[in-house]
Amino acid sequence: MSTPLTARIVAQHASTVRALAPHLPGAARRSAAMEALAVTGLPGSRDENWKYANLRPLERASFTPAALTPPAAGADAALAAALPQRLEGFARYVFVDGVFAPALSDTPAAGPARLTTLAARADERAAPPTALVPRRELGADQRFALLNEAFATDGAAIDVGAGDEAARLELIFLASAEGQLGASYPRVELLLAPRGRLVLVERHVSSGAAASFVTSAVSAELGRGAALDHYRLQELSSRAILFDTLTATLAQEASYRLHALCSGAAAARSTLGVRLAGERASLALAAAALGDRQQVQDTYALVEHLAPHARTEETFRGISAGRARVAFNGKIVVAREAHGTDSRQSLRGLLAGPEAEIDVRPQLEIYTDDVRCSHGATAGKLDDNMLFYLLSRGLERDTAQRALKWAFLEDVIAKIGVAPLRRQIEERLAGRMQDGAALRELI
Amino acid sequence: MLAIRDLSVTVDGKQILNGLTLEVPPGEVHAIMGPNGSGKSTLAHVLAGRPGYEVTSGSVTYEGRDLFALAPEERARAGVFLGFQYPVEIPGVNNVYLLKAALNAQRKERGLPEVDAFEFLGMVREKMKLMQMEDSFLSRGVNEGFSGGEKKRNEILQMLVLEPKLAILDETDSGLDIDALKIVAAGVNSLRSPERSALVVTHYQRLLEYVVPDVVHVLVRGRIARSGDRTLALELERRGYDWVSAEAA
Repeated sequence: MSTPLTARIVAQHASTVRALAPHLPGAARRSAAMEALAVTGLPGSRDENWKYANLRPLERASFTPAALTPPAAGADAALAAALPQRLEGFARYVFVDGVFAPALSDTPAAGPARLTTLAARADERAAPPTALVPRRELGADQRFALLNEAFATDGAAIDVGAGDEAARLELIFLASAEGQLGASYPRVELLLAPRGRLVLVERHVSSGAAASFVTSAVSAELGRGAALDHYRLQELSSRAILFDTLTATLAQEASYRLHALCSGAAAARSTLGVRLAGERASLALAAAALGDRQQVQDTYALVEHLAPHARTEETFRGISAGRARVAFNGKIVVAREAHGTDSRQSLRGLLAGPEAEIDVRPQLEIYTDDVRCSHGATAGKLDDNMLFYLLSRGLERDTAQRALKWAFLEDVIAKIGVAPLRRQIEERLAGRMQDGAALRELI
Repeated sequence: MLAIRDLSVTVDGKQILNGLTLEVPPGEVHAIMGPNGSGKSTLAHVLAGRPGYEVTSGSVTYEGRDLFALAPEERARAGVFLGFQYPVEIPGVNNVYLLKAALNAQRKERGLPEVDAFEFLGMVREKMKLMQMEDSFLSRGVNEGFSGGEKKRNEILQMLVLEPKLAILDETDSGLDIDALKIVAAGVNSLRSPERSALVVTHYQRLLEYVVPDVVHVLVRGRIARSGDRTLALELERRGYDWVSAEAA
């Protein structure tokens, strides 16, 4: 599918590939990804699963990695100031425009969870090339993951061995470059050995109001009985553009709790693909998205039940205000061999303005009997009965509406098990809802 | 306190209240009884300002003010309280937040500073004791997962904290067992004073054994068909509503 956009990506890749070579291994994989992308092209707005995303920024984006431009002197101090407060008990690793920043990070330590940067692996030469290759058999759309693969400058590879205590890591991807100067390609490869346990906080933030162009890719492989608690916070500047792809495969009895909170960026699209490949694997996906002004928050989540007795619990809460668009498309596929599947979807959108848009869409494809699949999707305004109840107690209309919006998100927020993180998120959300001071009492 | 004159109200074009006239002086408790569909709950909701009711004629003055000129939240801050027949569950908004926000909204209206957090909790706990509610109620979502009885007790707790001048209790006794009924009645009685009034809407006279009304009104087809003292409630209990309805027709 040769389009002007694809041709431009190929050309920019050709001119940067030499500069990329010293940074990373896998020139072969990189060019394979580029070749694949040249064939498939990037998604267009006519693609059924992309109609809610804002793809227009691609037309003027520069795909050359920003990391190829050396950072200005003294930049570290400004970047450090952009980092969120530290979470106690979590080792922190920071990547600036997709490249590991040792000055802002803890020293990777030995332990049950081993973090290596992909760039460092290049030096080791012995790095296994496995996880980098996007698994094309995965159902979720991999085209932006291919883009990441083709241009990635660095990333975090995390190997977690078996352990009783869950390792705790925080990855911060800081976008600092203006989009016209170059793109950023955050990348995470997670490998949890059988019974490996990890609590991972993955945070995407901006330095100042940078209009960065970010294409991130995360892959996770959970071995038998492994447990991953994954908190993804997208808090980019209101001018940034994000295309994100996450794929995960769960072996028998593995448990994946994925919490996603999207409140930043001008336009963000997240494509999630989770495969429950082993018996009794379980996924709890809780996502919340907030859109205001002209923001676009679009999530597509494909969950594939491929083995018997696996469970999925999917919760989405989105609030759209101003002229924003908030979309969540949740598709669950139950394969022929996946009898005893138990899946629940609860997708709810709240319209907080006459010009706002909400699109929530549950989809079920079931190829076997003996399953329990429930789904509910609603999009609407604040509940009139709840509003009247609060008004009848004397609360100002504004205050009552804010309290109800808060309550609406609570289904997702309450599931955040890391207390200091939940607090940070609540503070941030309260701040976003203008009259934060009053809302803080709800926390 | 409350003067209702010739009030007519329609809901979705259907006439529910039909020229209702009623006066509640300060310090009095009036009971509104009546068969199903007579307009009892409509009256309660119209007074509290619930949307969806169209006032086609008549007037309501509360402490000399035109009640219909006030938004629901303004009525509440002016001392009108509606105890809901079906209290609404609001997960994610906890009870203590609602109580505090409601009390502070009222204090702001009166030009008073926000309530001190420590004193507030002390005061709420004391009232919770009267309502026999456990401390854990405070941190739970408003009415979330409460039993019917717990919801009603929570309504009365809110009333005790807000100390309204005019309490309108819409079938607060429905769904209560005798013990819960006594607790609720004790809460209502604790607020009785020469400055406060209450309009107690009920289908059965059982509640009125514990909250003894000064006047009992029988509502039939949207207007007061008969008024009397508490013995009227006992008579209704004995004879049912048909004879009043027949008289009214």
